Amino acid sequence: MPDDLLLRARDVSYVLAGRQILDRVSFELKPAQITTIIGPNGAGKSTLTNIVTGLITGFEGEIERRPGLRIGYLPQKVYVNTLMPLTVERLLQLTQSASEREIDHALAQTDVGYLKQRQVRALSEGELKRVLLARTTLGEPDLIVLDEPTSGVDVTGEVRMYQLIGEFRSQLQCAVLLVSHDLHLVMSQTDQVLCLNQHLCCSGLPESVSQHPEYLALFGQQAADSIAIYTHHHDHVHDVSGDHAEHQHD
Amino acid sequence: MTEWLDDYLLRSVVAGLIMVIIAAPMGCLMVWQRLAFLSDTLGHAAVLGVGLGLMLSVMPIFGVLAVALLIVYSLSRVSSFNSALSETTLAIISHTGLAGGIILVGLLPAQSVNLEAILFGDLLATTGTDLLSLLVTTLVLLILLAHHWRSFVAVSVSREIAQAEGIEVRKVQFLMYTMIALLVAVMMKVMGVLLIAAMLVIPTTSARLFSRSPEQMVALSALYGLGALAGGITGSYHFDWQTGPAIVVSATALLLLTLAITRFARFNID
Repeated sequence: MPDDLLLRARDVSYVLAGRQILDRVSFELKPAQITTIIGPNGAGKSTLTNIVTGLITGFEGEIERRPGLRIGYLPQKVYVNTLMPLTVERLLQLTQSASEREIDHALAQTDVGYLKQRQVRALSEGELKRVLLARTTLGEPDLIVLDEPTSGVDVTGEVRMYQLIGEFRSQLQCAVLLVSHDLHLVMSQTDQVLCLNQHLCCSGLPESVSQHPEYLALFGQQAADSIAIYTHHHDHVHDVSGDHAEHQHD
Repeated sequence: MTEWLDDYLLRSVVAGLIMVIIAAPMGCLMVWQRLAFLSDTLGHAAVLGVGLGLMLSVMPIFGVLAVALLIVYSLSRVSSFNSALSETTLAIISHTGLAGGIILVGLLPAQSVNLEAILFGDLLATTGTDLLSLLVTTLVLLILLAHHWRSFVAVSVSREIAQAEGIEVRKVQFLMYTMIALLVAVMMKVMGVLLIAAMLVIPTTSARLFSRSPEQMVALSALYGLGALAGGITGSYHFDWQTGPAIVVSATALLLLTLAITRFARFNID
């Protein structure tokens, strides 16, 4: 695998109980790049992130990770174990130790410093999302995987959430893999969109994907227009080489 | 040096203490992961192990361990570990094991086996060998717990997060289930197969009412376990109650007392 890659997926297929969930999906994750996976319900988005994080094994194809790759992960649905007493501070140190300063900084980033001593089971869904988002930034991750980070968060929270994700990328120099079912929120900061519907329909920059025939067939013109609106918000210039959508299958 | 082991009461107290010490952390882990039903299943199926052990003239504890490990191993072979732990699957294993074991035990000469002791425990009949096996197993379990504690807690909170952040969840789970099998095999002597789960769940539930961290819950569970043990042995010694059931009833009494106190305290604050 080339040195400038964090992770490479080659022809990943996954079948569960006779149903094809993923069909020959290939993509690459590069350092400090934001990748957004979009697709309708049941497209295999969460399955794909679970394969990336290593939770699902037994797939066909190949996942290569950079040796020692550190992943911070925010699952889509966190089942909060109400039977375990656990403070937010402790939750942040679940898989690794962190200093007081690091914890305070992480929580402050997502505006939840005041929750540090609270019991996790007493948090609201939105508070929990922010706490879990904060913990993904601890331990200098190379890659942050966020599965529908805005579900259960109100609209102003969503805007703030995407702002934060952009900040993480620039501050931590880490790659972000983001799952979203909400097309309106495919961010302007996204470097790569993976449009998934069992197979990879198309991939590339948001505006190029939005003009792809398979994308239009899946989501319709209205969705394409809403992406176009978003892309007008940003002010950087794309170089020619990055600005294209590839077609993965015929 | 081992003269004190000749005193049956002292032997049973020591056995009880060891059980309390290991039941606290294991019980917490099982409650956090909602595995109490698994311990129940392994306990019920342990009767089959006792029957097999006696038939083959080996120590019953080895029969129990073999059956429990076989169940854990079979469950882990199923592609999705967690769906294998469904209530239906466990209920089938549990009751088939119990039924098969009772048939086997029934075939043995009546004087060679005390079914009641198997089902409800017989702490006061703890032998030196029992004590030794309990001690060795507990030490092994404590070492494993200390070594893997962070992983165990992480997996209890979220398997997904733990796996993504570098913990090998399947290995950790398999280790934990194997440890539960070991635990069941040794607790059987003290609590009896039908009451093992109670000792893992009830003191932990009391402890949860006051705890702010996982470790605090373990420590308080041990204290509640001690209370239950003291109550159980007292009831057994003075009133001739069966020890296992007396421990369980004491544990529940402590839970109810705790609930009443916390209710009352909250009522006063409000």
